Amino acid sequence: MTGTQNCLICEKVVKSFGKNTVLKGVDLTIEPGKIYGLIGRNGIGKTTLLSIMTGQNTCDSGSVTYGGMRVWENEKATSQICFSRELSPTILFGQNTMRVKEYFRMASCYYPAWDAAYAKQLTKEFGLDLKKKVCKMNKGMMSMVTITLALASRAPVTILDEPVAGLDVYMRDRFYDLLLKDYEETGRTFILSTHIIEEAANLLEETIILNDGVITLKENTQELIDSCRYISGLAETVERAASGFQQIHEESLGRSKTVCVRLRPGQQLDLSAYGNELTVSPVPLQKIFVYLTKRQGEAV
Amino acid sequence: MRLNDEKSIYLQIGQMIEDSILRGIFLEEERVPSTNELARLYSINPATAAKGVNLLVEQGILYKKRGIGMFVSRGAVEKIRETRKAGFYEQFVVNLITEAKALGITKEELVEMIRKAESGRPIEKGAV
Repeated sequence: MTGTQNCLICEKVVKSFGKNTVLKGVDLTIEPGKIYGLIGRNGIGKTTLLSIMTGQNTCDSGSVTYGGMRVWENEKATSQICFSRELSPTILFGQNTMRVKEYFRMASCYYPAWDAAYAKQLTKEFGLDLKKKVCKMNKGMMSMVTITLALASRAPVTILDEPVAGLDVYMRDRFYDLLLKDYEETGRTFILSTHIIEEAANLLEETIILNDGVITLKENTQELIDSCRYISGLAETVERAASGFQQIHEESLGRSKTVCVRLRPGQQLDLSAYGNELTVSPVPLQKIFVYLTKRQGEAV
Repeated sequence: MRLNDEKSIYLQIGQMIEDSILRGIFLEEERVPSTNELARLYSINPATAAKGVNLLVEQGILYKKRGIGMFVSRGAVEKIRETRKAGFYEQFVVNLITEAKALGITKEELVEMIRKAESGRPIEKGAV
C-alpha cells in the first residue's frame, strides 16, 4: 500500500471525561483489507476510541484522517466508515422504541454502498422481526441487528463493537463464517472489538491492544502467538532457561515454576540442551492479553 | 482434521494438505482447495491459510496455475515422504529415547518393545 491511501489514521488522539483522561495520545494506523481485533480491559476506552475514529465523537487534541481526509464532520469520509455500535434498550429519555426497519432505513440513507438485498437475506437468516422495537429485543437479537447493519453497509471500513456479546455459540460461529465470506468477497477492512478473544483469534490478521490510554501492541496475531511460550519445570532450571528472554508472567507451585516468555523478532527458543527437564507449550492469545494488560498488584 | 494449539496454524494447514495428498484425497496434478475455501473451512484468516499454502509452494509440493488455483505437483507424494522421513528421527526417535531414559527403560527393553509393536502383538501387562 502506498502512503496513506485509504488508511484510517489516528495521531496523538487525546480524550478526557472530566478529570479522567481516557485516551492519552493514541497513534494507530488501520490499513485497508485486513481484519483487525481491538482488545482491551473493561472501561479502557475502546468504544470511545472507535467513536472518535468514526467521527461520532470529538477528541480534545490529535487528529483522525481517512485517506488523508479529516474524518470529523466530513461526510465524504464518514460514509466510508461504518461503526455499528451495540444497541441499547434505553436511551436518554426512556425506552428505545426505534424499530429494526427504522435502523436499517437510516443506515441505507447514510451508507452509499448499502446493500438492501444483503440486509434482507441476513434479516431472514437471523429470523429478525423488522417491526420489533429495540427495547423489546433480547441481547442476541440486538447483536444480530448490529451485525446485519455492519455487513449490509458494505462500507470500506467496517467496525463492529462487541458483535458477538449476546449471541449463543451457534450464532457466534455463524457470524464468524459470515464475516469470512464477506471478507472473501469484498476484501474490506474490519475492526472487531471483542472480549471473546480465543474464538476470534484465528480470524484476526492483526491484534491491537489498548491499555492505559495508548496502543501498547499492534502485531500480526499468529506471529504474536508464536512469539510466546510457556516454559515449565523445576524452578531453578526454568529460571536458567528463561533468562535473557522477556518474561511476561510467572507462577510457582512448590519446586515447580512456569514462566511465559515473549521472544523478540529473530529470537529463537532452543531448549534442546535441557532434554526432558523442561516442558514448552503454546500460550493462548487470551492469556497473552491477560499478562500484557495486568495492573500492578493484580492477581492473574 | 481439527486445528489445535500445539503448532502454528499455518503449519497445521500445510500438514493437513500434505496428509490429504498422502492419503490420496488430493491427487497429483489435481486442484487443492483455495485459500478462501480453507479459511472458511477452518474459520481462520485467509492470510494465515495463504501462508500455509505458500509454504508447500516453496517446497515444490504445490504449484500455482495463474487464474485457476493451486495444484498438487507431480512427485509430491514422494517429496512429502522424504521430508517426513527426515523429520521422523527428530520428532519421534529422539523423543522416544528421551522419554525411555527418563523412565529407566533399557536399550534391550526398548528394542524388544519395538519388535513387539512391529509384529502387532500387544505387550503383556507387567512385561516392562
